[in-house]
Amino acid sequence: MDGIHDLGGKEGFGPIPIGDDTPFAQAWEERMWALSRAGILPPGTTIDWFRHGVELLGPRDYLTWAYFNKWCTNHFMLQIDAGVSDMDEILTGRAKEPGPPAPVLSLDDVLEANRKANTDFSTRPAAAPRFAVGDSVTTRARMHSGHTRLPAYARAATGTVIAHHGAHLLADEGARGRHVGEHLYTVSFTAPELWGEGADPRDTVTLDLWENYLV
Amino acid sequence: MATFDSEKAAAIHRHLHSHLPSDPALRVKALESLVVERGLIAPETIDAWVEAYSEHIGPKRGARVVARAWLDDAFRARLLDNAASAIEEFGFQGNATGHLIAVENTDTTHNMVVCTLCSCYPFSLLGISPSWYRSAEYRARAVREPRKVLAEFGVELGDDIAVRVWDSTAELRYLVVPQRPAGTDGWDEDALAAIVTRNAMIGTERVLLAGAT
Repeated sequence: MDGIHDLGGKEGFGPIPIGDDTPFAQAWEERMWALSRAGILPPGTTIDWFRHGVELLGPRDYLTWAYFNKWCTNHFMLQIDAGVSDMDEILTGRAKEPGPPAPVLSLDDVLEANRKANTDFSTRPAAAPRFAVGDSVTTRARMHSGHTRLPAYARAATGTVIAHHGAHLLADEGARGRHVGEHLYTVSFTAPELWGEGADPRDTVTLDLWENYLV
Repeated sequence: MATFDSEKAAAIHRHLHSHLPSDPALRVKALESLVVERGLIAPETIDAWVEAYSEHIGPKRGARVVARAWLDDAFRARLLDNAASAIEEFGFQGNATGHLIAVENTDTTHNMVVCTLCSCYPFSLLGISPSWYRSAEYRARAVREPRKVLAEFGVELGDDIAVRVWDSTAELRYLVVPQRPAGTDGWDEDALAAIVTRNAMIGTERVLLAGAT
C-alpha cells in the first residue's frame, strides 16, 4: 500500500525532536501501552492486520495524531470490523454484554507473560530458497495495495544478500489472515543505489525482505 | 472475527474520525472501560503492566547485555551469533525479541536502527522507544541522511567510518553493540552497564563516556 505511513526517505521533515526523549509524554499513553500488552485484540487479529489498520487511518490523522492515539483508535476500528463492539459502546465505554471480571494478574504474572511473548515468526519453508548469501538481488518495482513491508524507497533497487533467515511468516499474507511462510533475507543496499549519486558511497541501508519482494 | 477487508477498515476509520472525542485520553479511558467490562483484563493487571514496563523492563536490560559482551568473549560470540537466544541467559527475552540481531560498532562502522514503516523496537530488551524514535522526522530521515541525523544527536563521524542503517522491515529486531570506551579497564559489569545508554543501543550515540556515572 502506497500509504502515508511509508515515510522512509520522504523529504521536507525538520529536525528530529530529540527533546521528546521519554517513552510517554502523557499518562494515557502509558495506559494504552499496558492495554495493548494484555490480549484485548478481537479474535483472528494478526500483528500485520493490526499494522495495516494503523496504515489505513486517514493520512492527515496519521501524520498528526500521537502514536498511542493511533493505536487506541485502531483498536476501536478492529473491534467494529470484527463485530465485537458497536459505535455506541465505543462512545460510552459501556459494554452491552458485560462478561465476568477477568482474573487479576500480579507483577510476576505479567513479567512471565512478557517473557512468553517472544513470538517465533519462523516457519517451515514451502520451497527451496531462490537466493543465497552474496547474491545480487533486485526488488520489485511495484507492489499491491494491501499491507506490505517493502518500502517505496527500496523498490526496483539492487542490493546484496547478507543473511538468509529461513522461512518467516509473510507479512502481506498475515494482514489477510493467512499464515504463509517464505524465505526471508537481509539485503544491503548502497546509499547511492537508493538515493542517487549524491549519496555517501561509504553508507548502506539494510532491509529484511521476503523472497516475494525480490524479482 | 476480523474481516481483513482494507476498504471496510478505512471506512470505519473515517466514521470513527467524525464521532470520537478528539482528546486521546478520553478515547483510551473508553477503551479501558470497555475491555474491563467485557472481562478481558482487570484494572489491576493494567497497573501491573505499567509497573512492569516502567520499573523492570527497559534499557538497563540492554546495557547489562552489552556490558557482559564487553567482558566475556564467549558471551559476545553467542550474542553476535544468535542474540535472541543469548539474552535468554538473563531472562530478558519477550515481546519483540524473538528474532533479535546484535550488530557491533567497530572503528570503521557505525550502526543505526530505524523502522520506517511503523516503529518496531525490541521492547523486552530496551523497553518502550523514546518518542523521537517514533517521529515522522526520524523515520523519514534516518535512511536517507543518517549522517545529518547523527550530527543532530551530536555524533561526529570520522572520514573512515561507514554508516549502516538497519530498517526493521520484518520481525527481526536490532540491538547496536557500542564500542567499549577507553578508560574502563578493570571495571566490573555493573560499572560498565551504567555507562551504556539507550541511544547508543539504537545507534544515535557513538562514543560512550567513561566518566558518565
